[in-house]
Parts: sequence; structure tokens; C-alpha cells
Amino acid sequence: MKSSSENRFKKLMCGTLALGVLVALSTPALAGNIEGRVTAQGLKSAANIAVYVEAVPGKTFTAPAKAEVMDQKKMTFIPHVMVVQKGATVEFLNSDPVGHNVYWPNVGGNRKLAHNMGTWPQGAKKSFTFNDEGAAPLLCNVHPEMSGYIVVVPTPYFAVTNKEGEFVIKDVPAGHYTVKTWSEEGKPVSQAVDVAAGNTKLNLTVHR
Amino acid sequence: MLLNKSFKLHVMVGLLLSVGIIGLALFESRRDSYAIPAFARKYQTSCATCHNNYPELNDFGEAFKKNGFKFPKDDETFVKEPPVLLGAAAQKQAFPNTIYPGEIPGTIPIGFRYSGFATINSRQPVALGFLPRTDLFTPNTFTILAAGSMGSNLSFWIDDDISTGGSGADGGLGDGYIKYNDLGHFLRLPKDALNVRFGQFELDLPFSQARTINPTDYDIYDQASVAMQQGTTNNPFVFAAPQRGIEFGGYPNDGNFAWSVSFVNGSNDQPAMRNSKDVYFRVSQKFNLDRDRNSRKEIQAAGATGPRDHTSIRVGAFYYYGRNALNLDGTLLPGFGILREPFYRAGGDFRFKYNKFELYGLGMFGHDTNLFADPNALTLLHAAPVTFTGGFVQANYWIYPWMIAIMRYDAVNSPTDFLNGVSLHNTRNRFSPGLQFLIRANLKAVFEYEHRWQIPFGLPGQSFRPNSFTGGIGYSF
Repeated sequence: MKSSSENRFKKLMCGTLALGVLVALSTPALAGNIEGRVTAQGLKSAANIAVYVEAVPGKTFTAPAKAEVMDQKKMTFIPHVMVVQKGATVEFLNSDPVGHNVYWPNVGGNRKLAHNMGTWPQGAKKSFTFNDEGAAPLLCNVHPEMSGYIVVVPTPYFAVTNKEGEFVIKDVPAGHYTVKTWSEEGKPVSQAVDVAAGNTKLNLTVHR
Repeated sequence: MLLNKSFKLHVMVGLLLSVGIIGLALFESRRDSYAIPAFARKYQTSCATCHNNYPELNDFGEAFKKNGFKFPKDDETFVKEPPVLLGAAAQKQAFPNTIYPGEIPGTIPIGFRYSGFATINSRQPVALGFLPRTDLFTPNTFTILAAGSMGSNLSFWIDDDISTGGSGADGGLGDGYIKYNDLGHFLRLPKDALNVRFGQFELDLPFSQARTINPTDYDIYDQASVAMQQGTTNNPFVFAAPQRGIEFGGYPNDGNFAWSVSFVNGSNDQPAMRNSKDVYFRVSQKFNLDRDRNSRKEIQAAGATGPRDHTSIRVGAFYYYGRNALNLDGTLLPGFGILREPFYRAGGDFRFKYNKFELYGLGMFGHDTNLFADPNALTLLHAAPVTFTGGFVQANYWIYPWMIAIMRYDAVNSPTDFLNGVSLHNTRNRFSPGLQFLIRANLKAVFEYEHRWQIPFGLPGQSFRPNSFTGGIGYSF
């Protein structure tokens, strides 16, 4: 009887311990934010610069289930720059009463990844899953002044700068990483950063 | 004796006019063409929104023009330069006790255009006079353009050549008109079934000459009826010149059917030279051949790689009637009174569009009553009418969106011109292959070779073919 009770107690303890370890591993207790400002030198604006964590060693990420929406409204791509994780699906919406088209001549400079989405009427959407990293310049072949970008990055840790160049990358696990930038006009910038719990400051400068 | 002198003078004037017109067609007919930078600014959009190869309009551009220079749907949401209100919209409720509210463009809707062409000419026989083998950038044309809308129904257009043919030569007004859209609204007609415009304008031609992509005119459009030794006919009317008058027209059924009736002076862009007015009719029907029925209702078709012009065929017919009058002041043929010479032009046209290819053409028949002054009996006799037939066929193919290959064939059959020594045969043929490059959406280089008909000179059987090569640039801003 005694041994049976002891066994049950041991099993309970082991289960609780295992659960505790699992919870500890899955809780971002040691995650923090990377926040800072991008200074743009020689660029029209510090806005719309993608800032992202290049990789998290030993970790792969599943594609997000929810699709992002890239709108075409008043003959403008909204948002102008969208950052998505590799494998993410983007829904292209036409909100205009005029015909639009979306195509990109390359992804990350690779012309083999060029794609033309065709045309669809007002209010309708077309989806595309981006499985290749890099920036896809979005164009409309009837309104050449329109442009937008989808920047496909390898991790879910990314942000886009506001008008002041400010950004916040949220919930980054503590660790040592390389943060990179992508911008429409500027050269990419890489900078190492050590992320700890709380907010980690990071200022970057992007040159034309 | 006086009569003979007058008649000779008449013939001489006619000869000079005829030679002048044909000369113009041969060597100087570098027409202006227009794209409207003011609209690009107003909507912050590229020229390519309305033009596949400016100034030719694509389906969207045609819908924009027909809608009184406004986007066909939800125009106000696309305007990036809000207009200046000349009265609050609510003032409509106070009408007629207040001026009806209107608006003007937010910024001055002015654009400019420059074009310059160079030509390489065949070696011309001395007997026909000296013609340089090459001529660089003649004419240089600088044009001011203004167009826009003034409220919900009113629109306007003005284009004026500030200089042509070199420095300081005033080319004058091209088109200058105001248009009221949807006048039929008051009669409960479908939208845009009845519109009106008045001023100076190019007739509702099947294919615009003023806004052609070609560096040279369509020959049939420049054909004037001048009898010279064959009678009294000396009609200055040419089909493509701007006319002064009023036009009623409409395009219900999404613009697929269009009609217009114009009443004009008939003296091109000159003041009226006679009391009677001319009348011009045109009807056309476009058949949308796109397989996707839903797509047919859209302004542009939903192509696999983006919006494109609908696959379509348009057929149309036109008729112009006027009564030319000569000797109005009695100095041309003293004692004869006024010579009234009714004339008409009638024809049909087609336009086929398929993806990157378009083919279009026009055929026309011209007929002018012709008289003969009998100096002995002081009477006017009916002479053989001055007639002509002709037209053109043109094919355009977009090799790239910025590179367009063109082949055009013009023909004018005029026995009168032949009898007067203008051409070696009744028919004047011309082949004009060309290539055009959109270096930018507003900057274009055009090249065209013109293989022309033979002109007789000197001894019988001698002839000269005034071929030429034209290259040029044009830009709008």
C-alpha cells in the first residue's frame, strides 16, 4: 500500500516538474523589446524602413496562420512597406473602382521569382504565399506611379519605422542577434544586439 | 477680257492653294499631339493611366474624356489637388436667386508640349525646285495646353501653338471649347446620352488627327477639292482641321454606342466665309468581344497580367454636308453672282483591338459640285464634279510597353488632281512603316519612313517619288 502511494506521489511530482519545465520554456519570461530609432542620411524620409532580427540560432518558425492585407486604395499601395515572415500569406485587396494589377519583377533581386497576380475587381482579393526571403517591389502595370514593397524576413521579429524613424520589435527572446534593415532607397545595415528582458535600445543609421 | 483675267486669277489661286495643301501634306505636316500633364498633376498619376502610346487614348482615357475629364467612378476620391469652389454646393438650393455654384481647378491646369522633327528627303529634281536633303528640327512646335473640369458637368479644353516652324511663328489656336455633359438629364435621358460642346474643335472624327500618334497626317484628311483648270471648285474645307461651331452628341450604353451632330462654319479655323452652315453626322458602335462577360462591363478588361483595353471591334459611319460659296463679293467672276457649290464627304471606319495589337482604318468618298464659267454667255455650266475616294489602314503592335511598331497605308484617288498634274496616276499611295519609343511616359521618340506616290514633272513620263524619313522627339510637362 505504502509503495503504491509513494509511486503515485513520485508520478505526481514528476508530472508537475515536467509541466513546470514546459511552462518555463514556453513563457517569454526572458523576452524583451528592441526599440530605437533609424536615422536616415540622404534619404527622403526615415519612414517605412524595415528592421528585423536576421535569425534566431537553432530555431525555426512556423508560418503565421493569419494573412496580411495589402490594399490598393486611391491608386496607392497601403501600407507602402509591409514586412512579413517567410511563409506568410498576403491578401491583395483592390479597394478602387478602377482596374489594378499587382506584379513584382523580382524578390530580393531574383528575377526568377517574378510574378504577376493579374487583375481583379473592386472589393475582391487575391492571395499569395511568400516562401522566399527578400523584398518584392509591388507594381501596377497600368498605374506606373504606384509602388509598394513586401519584405519577406526569416523571423517573426520585425518592425517598420514611423515618420520619425522609430521602431519597436516586440517579444524578442533574450539572446545575441543581428538586426538588419531594408529600405527603399538606402543600403542595408546590420548591427549586433544583445536582447535582455525589458527594452533594449538600438539606434541605426541608414545611408543612401 | 476682265472676265478672263479674273478667271485666270481664280485658277492661279486654286493652283497655289492646291500645291500648297499637297506640299503641306508632303513636307510640313508634322501635327501636334497632346497628352495633358495638368491631369497627371491633378490626380498624381502617370500619363500611362490614359495613354498606351500618347496621345492616343486607351479605354480608360476615352472613358475619362467622355466623362468631362473626370474619372469614370468616384472621381473626387482620386483628386489629389482639390478644386476651388465658386459657390457652396448648397447654393444650388437657392437657385435662381443666386449664381449657380461651380468650381475651378485647384491649380492652374496648364501643361506644355514641345515637338521637333528632322527629315531626310529624297533627292528632288531641280525642275521641282530646291529641297534640302535634310532638315533638322523643323517645325519646332511649342504648345500650351489647358484642360479640366468646372464642376459636375462642365469641362473645357484649350490648346494653342505658341510657336511653330521655328522662332516666333504663331501657330494659333487648335481647339478651344467648353462642353456640358449629360444635358439629357433634364429630359430624363440615360446618362451622357446628350451632351453639347461649342467653340473651336476638331470634328468628332473616327480617328483624331490632332491627337494622332503619327508624325504625318492621314492623307485623306488633308484632301481639299480644288478643280483648277477643271472648273470653279475651290473648297478650302479639309476634314481634320478644327471647325468653329456647336456639337451635340452622346454615348449611352457605357459608351459603346456614340453619336454626334455638329453645325459648323465649314471654313476650318477661319472666320465664316459664307452664310450657310455645314452639318456633320457621326455614329459608331463598339462591340466588346471579351470572353469574360463580367469584364465587359468594366472600363478596362481584366487581363491575365493586368488591366488592358477590351478586345473589341468598333464600326462607324460619318457624313459631312456643306455648301461652299464663291464670288461672294463679285470680284472673282464679275457679273456671275454667287456660286453655290454643295459638297459632301461620306465614309465608314473600323477599329479592332486585341491585346497588344490594333488595326484600324477609314474609307471616305468626297463629292463637290463643280461649275464652269462660260465667259461668252456669262453663264455657269455644270462641269464634272470634283470627286475623290481614299482612306487609310493602320496597324500598331506593342513589342514592349515602350516600343511600338507601326505600319500604315494611305491612299487618295483623285482624278481631278491627276488631271491637274499633281500625281502621275489617279491614286496617290503611301506606305509609312514606323517605330516609336516611349523613353519616358512623357518623352517620346518617333521614326517613320514615308514611301510616297510619284509626282510628274518635266517631260511626259518623268516623275519623282518624294520619299522621306522622319525622326523626332516630343515631350510634355
